Amino acid sequence: MDLNNTIILCVDDEELPLTLRKRVLESQGYQVIAACSAADAMRTLNDRTVDLVLTDQLMPDGTGTELTRSIKKKWPDLPVILISGISEIPADAKYADLFISKIEGPAVLFAKISAILSARRCSLG
Amino acid sequence: MNETHKVNILMVDDQPAKLLSYEAILANLDAHLIKARSGREGLELLLKHDVAVVLLDVSMPDINGFEMADIMRQHPRFQKTAILFISAVRMSDLDRIKGYQSGAVDYISVPVVPEVLRAKVSVFVELHRKSRELEDLNRELETRVEQRTRQLQESENLLRERADLLELASEAILVRDLAGALTYWNAGAEALYGWERREVLGNSVHAILETEYPVEATGCESTLIDCGRWDVNLIQKTRDGREVIVASRQVFKKEAGSILEINRDITSQIRAEEALRQTERLAAMGRVAGIIAHEINNPLEAITNAFYLLRNHPSLDDEAHYYAQLGEVELARVGHITKQTLSFYRESQDPVNVPIAEILDDVLELQSRQLLMSSIILDKKYLTGGEIRGFPVELRQVFLNLIGNAVQAMPHGGTLRIRMATRWNEARGSAYLYVSVCDTGTGIRPEHAKHLFEPFFTTKSTKGTGLGLWISKGIIQKYDGAIRFRSIIFRGIHLTSFRVMFPGVSSAIKGLEAAHHSLRDETARVSLGPQ
Repeated sequence: MDLNNTIILCVDDEELPLTLRKRVLESQGYQVIAACSAADAMRTLNDRTVDLVLTDQLMPDGTGTELTRSIKKKWPDLPVILISGISEIPADAKYADLFISKIEGPAVLFAKISAILSARRCSLG
Repeated sequence: MNETHKVNILMVDDQPAKLLSYEAILANLDAHLIKARSGREGLELLLKHDVAVVLLDVSMPDINGFEMADIMRQHPRFQKTAILFISAVRMSDLDRIKGYQSGAVDYISVPVVPEVLRAKVSVFVELHRKSRELEDLNRELETRVEQRTRQLQESENLLRERADLLELASEAILVRDLAGALTYWNAGAEALYGWERREVLGNSVHAILETEYPVEATGCESTLIDCGRWDVNLIQKTRDGREVIVASRQVFKKEAGSILEINRDITSQIRAEEALRQTERLAAMGRVAGIIAHEINNPLEAITNAFYLLRNHPSLDDEAHYYAQLGEVELARVGHITKQTLSFYRESQDPVNVPIAEILDDVLELQSRQLLMSSIILDKKYLTGGEIRGFPVELRQVFLNLIGNAVQAMPHGGTLRIRMATRWNEARGSAYLYVSVCDTGTGIRPEHAKHLFEPFFTTKSTKGTGLGLWISKGIIQKYDGAIRFRSIIFRGIHLTSFRVMFPGVSSAIKGLEAAHHSLRDETARVSLGPQ
């Protein structure tokens, strides 16, 4: 699979963790676009196509789950992964394809992303 | 003497002039004088009035005096009414008068001497008064006796009712003398403390109940005697050694030299309040844990990512790369700890297949340091991977409690034995997963056995929350499973085992397990030495 053609939209309100997460994903070969808020993420999605959204849960202008619902309304097939430091899974997390804890580390994150992307490619044929 | 006590004198004579003269003679006797002109009228008046004496003219037309007297004597009411005949003295008349055996009868001859008439009538009047007074007195006495009897009956009924009430009360009601000896012990006390009346009466109550006073016992007693009344919560022991908390209300009866005491069992109420507080505390702890988890996890992810990038950076020489790797390994440990302790994080909200063997190993890994420090030998044998459907967090909690308790019971070493197998329940016709956790620690005292699964029951004083086994039992019951325990002394060693049974292992799986048997049969009897 050519990861250079795979574009991930990475959403987080905190700049430093966002940059590091972006770099980590890039180190794996993904193309990463960063968005610093839910609104920013929606603007980006309206402008261009991405393959996957990886969003933080708690952000000042709306939660990750709310963002997920908005995305799924417009692009039902676009995979969304929620990544969070909170311990309780939010009740509406089911709209997302996956809920993952921030402390799982890069290796688990890569594995989950690639599993979701390949599952999606399979379903698209 | 008032009007109502005035007596009646009936005067019967056919001659009005005579009646008038009798009236004049008897006027100062302070009596009602009733006049009748004939025997018939006399009889009619007699029926209407209570007459003390009848002044009766013997010779009257129609009914004469004797005939009237005869009629009177036939009537029971008038048999004793005094009759004073007025007659010209003739022998035949005297004989006739003597013929009246019963009742007071006298005669007075004509011509009537006023003083004699007055004297004779007065005697009869006085006689009548006296007998009437006597009757009144008797009647009053009878009413009084009747009244008193009724009152006694009523108060006796009331007492019996009160005694029944005392027996009905669910509170323990007791009476003791100043020396503490019991004189009364109701059914409620029997039920609460388990001591029967005959066993405790005459004995010192607070010695039997091992009452724990908030202040020194003698101080309490003097407060009670000074103030007459005392409300307090006491801790007491029942016959089977169970501790109860009672709200006690005591009253000192000076005149009887006794102390009345009503004790209400508030143990469960207090436990419930404690449970509520504890639940609130747990909920608060959960919230705090969530906040801490979030605050730690966010920077932790950033640092982990930074180390990941650093380790893979091409400019690093071998030494720098080694340090970065060390940092990454240690960070992984921090991540592991926050995940284990602060997180209720679940992979899925739907039940999944949980391999109990992995859960057990996970828990044992967490306890490994403690096992090592207490020199505990681990003896584990899994005859199955023990997969059941459920939530890993909950199942982990169950075994964390059981294994944690076992380890804490062996501070000076011992053997922790863990067994897991699939077993067949003949009655249900289904397979179940069996896990036992056995220790050779301090053992469980028989009197603690039945409270083991109650919330907030702990033998670890301040160290335990008393919630572990209660929560575990709740979780196991949620899986339709069961938990049993046994504590025995074998060759001087306390053996305590908790066995957990989970149903829902299908027979198909059972077949598979049998095949896996030989593979899984890794009897790991390892002594955990220094790592």
